Amino acid sequence: MALLELENVWKTYRTDGVTVEALRGVSLEVGRGEFVALVGPSGCGKTTLLNLAGAMDQPTAGEVRIDGVSTRRLDDAQLARLRRSKIGFVFQSFQLLATLTAVENVELPLLLAGRAGARRIALDRLEWVGLAELAHRFPHQLSGGQMQRVAIARALAASPRLVLADEPTGNLDSATGESIIALLGRIAAEQGTAVLMATHSREAAASSDRIIRLRDGRIEAVEEIARR
Amino acid sequence: MRARALVFVRLLVRPMLREPVRTALTVLAVALGVGVVVAIEAAGRAAVGSFRSSLETVAGKADYEITAAGGVPEGLLARLARLPLPLELAPRLEGSARLAAAGAPVHLVGVDLVAEAALVPVQGAEFLEAWRKPDSIWCGRAVCASPGERLRLVIHDSTHDYTVRGLLDGAELDFTLILDIAAAQEVLRKSGRLDRIEVRLLGPAPADLEAQLRKALPDGILLRPAGARREENQKMLAAFRWNLRVLSFIALIVGAFLIYNTIAVSVVRRRAEIGLLRALGATRAGVAAAFLAEGALFGGIGALVGLACGRLMAEGALRLIAATVETLYAAGAPASVRLDSGLLGLAFAVGIPTALASALAPALEAARVAPVEALAPGRYHWERRLAARRNLAVSAALAAAAAVASFGPPLGGRPVLGYLAALLLIAAMALSMPALIAAAARLKLAGLAGIEAQLALRSLRASLGRSSVLAGALATAVAMMIAVAVLVGSFRETVSVWLEQQLSADFYLQPASAAGAERDATLDAGLAAELARLDEVAEVERFRAYDISFNGLPAYLAGVETELARRRGKLRFLPGQNREAILARLGEGDYAIVSEPFSAKHSLRPGDRLRLPLAGRAAEFEVLGVYYDYSNERGYVVVDRAVLLGYLPDPAPTSLAIYLKDGADPAAARDAIARACHDRQVRLISSRNLLEEALGIFDRTFAITWALEAIAVSVAVIGMAGALLALVIDRRRELALVRFLGGTARQLRRLLVAEAAVLGLLGLLAGGALGLLLALILILINKQSFGWTIQLHWPVGLLAAALGLVYLATLAASLYPARVARKLNPVEVIHEE
Repeated sequence: MALLELENVWKTYRTDGVTVEALRGVSLEVGRGEFVALVGPSGCGKTTLLNLAGAMDQPTAGEVRIDGVSTRRLDDAQLARLRRSKIGFVFQSFQLLATLTAVENVELPLLLAGRAGARRIALDRLEWVGLAELAHRFPHQLSGGQMQRVAIARALAASPRLVLADEPTGNLDSATGESIIALLGRIAAEQGTAVLMATHSREAAASSDRIIRLRDGRIEAVEEIARR
Repeated sequence: MRARALVFVRLLVRPMLREPVRTALTVLAVALGVGVVVAIEAAGRAAVGSFRSSLETVAGKADYEITAAGGVPEGLLARLARLPLPLELAPRLEGSARLAAAGAPVHLVGVDLVAEAALVPVQGAEFLEAWRKPDSIWCGRAVCASPGERLRLVIHDSTHDYTVRGLLDGAELDFTLILDIAAAQEVLRKSGRLDRIEVRLLGPAPADLEAQLRKALPDGILLRPAGARREENQKMLAAFRWNLRVLSFIALIVGAFLIYNTIAVSVVRRRAEIGLLRALGATRAGVAAAFLAEGALFGGIGALVGLACGRLMAEGALRLIAATVETLYAAGAPASVRLDSGLLGLAFAVGIPTALASALAPALEAARVAPVEALAPGRYHWERRLAARRNLAVSAALAAAAAVASFGPPLGGRPVLGYLAALLLIAAMALSMPALIAAAARLKLAGLAGIEAQLALRSLRASLGRSSVLAGALATAVAMMIAVAVLVGSFRETVSVWLEQQLSADFYLQPASAAGAERDATLDAGLAAELARLDEVAEVERFRAYDISFNGLPAYLAGVETELARRRGKLRFLPGQNREAILARLGEGDYAIVSEPFSAKHSLRPGDRLRLPLAGRAAEFEVLGVYYDYSNERGYVVVDRAVLLGYLPDPAPTSLAIYLKDGADPAAARDAIARACHDRQVRLISSRNLLEEALGIFDRTFAITWALEAIAVSVAVIGMAGALLALVIDRRRELALVRFLGGTARQLRRLLVAEAAVLGLLGLLAGGALGLLLALILILINKQSFGWTIQLHWPVGLLAAALGLVYLATLAASLYPARVARKLNPVEVIHEE
């Protein structure tokens, strides 16, 4: 069974009388340990798709299933529980809380879930991304790459089944960006977590297992990448 | 200039308008603070307005007045008239009375109508006709509607009937009645005496006029500039009004915290914009000026709204103050509340400087923003740079200074150092708040109160600047509430205990016309003996008091039956003074005891000598002791009754205390006493009822302080709501992120309520500690202002209830911001950039 399934998903927005179809009948699957890249021009629907996949939003039509559970049937609290246990997010602008240290940022989702041993797990995740010695620094004391690593550690805090990354290298230089992509690849390979990444970068996309090209809310093409 | 104004409007005013709720809450907080100050000032002016002696209006401008305790002998008038000086002399008598029908107090004035016929609105033959009739009276328009009416008055303990011959014009005379001086002497029982002789200069005065006049006056008769008595009364009121004014500023201080917070938040939000402006060429001064202008705008709008609030609140305040003024100081109808340019000026003079002072620190902070902020926003966090340790050191220094100031003496009769100590303590608390919050944040609350509380603590620590200001505002309001509650509670308990000891008789008898603080009404001289002959009565104690002047302040001179007082356990003296020895000596000669307020006001101790001019003789008494007395603020000089009669021979008592025999039936005794009084107009009251009445007056007096406290707390809570809303708006990215990370909407709400709960708790704790210290200072201030010793007493139940209510209000203040937080769309917010 695929970890993430989108079946004929449509998403329509209405603002000030104007209707925008962000997604039009998109169907895709992402399996365990797969690293999938979503590419396409601005406004093609990448972010919308990630929001739906992350149970942050509901489709206008069609169905989204995460680990076999359809999100349509879930209420707000159930969606939140789903996110905290199965999904991790990585954003372009890192989205770390500026007033918390690195380890405090990482343990936040665990605290929200009421998990015991949050600090220990958080330090463990920071170690995995290679930042254990910077655990007590504040975000403004870290470089862009370091901040994104902390964000990835946070995304991994609750051992999610699915990691969603929206332009994770958008605010980074190319060298740093490469290391982040490598890290995402490790997540998929070593932890068996499905990774779905939206990106503008061709190099970043090339590091994935599969590239899905979106245009005007539809899947234009799917490309399998030969493994090295 | 126009360009700058445009930038100001776009940068600062527009955002204010985009958050109408938050802006309105801040303006409301300021408006309430200003409103309270305006209300107290307006009400105070109106209450004091009643003091303008109707006598002055009656007489016009006199230059001097001649007075004496116990009255001026009327023979003096002829002696002064013979002096070769260009003077006009006007005798005056005054007294209080009550309208028999309505019971309202009125002011009687006796004048020589033949010499001063112009005072009354009837002239010529009609006037002479009226003057000849002994029941003629002229009265103010509030007393009587038209001439020809019959009027019954209660004067001392008798009723008298009059025919109104004419009405007096002028609002100051509304409750005044004028009659001929001879008739007044008879009815006021002051035959052969005058209350004062007014002296008017008719031409250029010789340089030694005063010396010549003084030489002509016997010892014990005072010559003073006219209006001296009104000034004395106003001095009495001044202390009362001053303390009210200071209390009214508390709400404003709380409002100041909130303006500081609002402007500080504004600076934090606009760091990037400020950086941009600096990069584009704006100067530091220009940036600071913009934020000061924002503060001034809040202050100005708050002042306008506050003026309206103040006008509304003034009526209520006047009702509360006027009752106190009438009871404790003087009877009289208060003037109406008027919103004049003075009050308008006060509102702005108070609102804008407070706002500017509060906005200063954040404005200077804004001026320090470097242009590079425009390029790399979010790198610098004002919140963290608080130097909590340094603030703690300054806080300790301020607390030490407060301790020193609190023991300082009054300056110019005012407890200025006491007020300063209170302000220093508030500042010390505010500066120590960041350290307190940081310490609280280290607590592990997750197990006890849930993860939301743990996160709330962390988030408060992270935004230390804001959270400490909010908690500080609440703590200030709570501290004042506790301080006043402890002061009033202690005072009430002290007075209550004292009353229980003092009111040892079974019944008390007063003339029905007695009103306010005047003591000139008397009972029939033979009444005491008549009552003592009743079967149920063991003994009757006579008490006589005179209104006197001492060192420019009003006071009382009283004669007591010393032996009876000693036996009946009355009169408790200050520590270290031997009651038995003092009372044994009191009746032996020219000795006196003084009440604690009198001793404090005039710095008199046992062993000092006291000179009193008494009706033509200069008396000197040795002070034997100082006794506790909470009945009034003026203070008493007490001598033995027999000694007093030697100077002032009028035997009529001001009041009687009636002691029943053991086993006598109080109801039967009451009936017997009432019968013995026949148709005398008296007021008979049991000691239990008198105790309740006295405590009732006490409670009414302090009602206004409760009102002020409630407003200060409301200001803090309103400010808290506005500030929490700002926190939500500013942290919407963080809050949206929490949703992404799996937080439910309910958890978000609980997080915000937990923040309010923690802030509230810290505010209560800090406020509680500060409040206890302020209570001690207030008790000291009270002693310096009024001279009373207050025994400390903690009204635990009242405090617990009040604090509980405040805490609930704080939690309630978080509900609307929590709702706003829940309604955030996380997807929109996160992708805003």
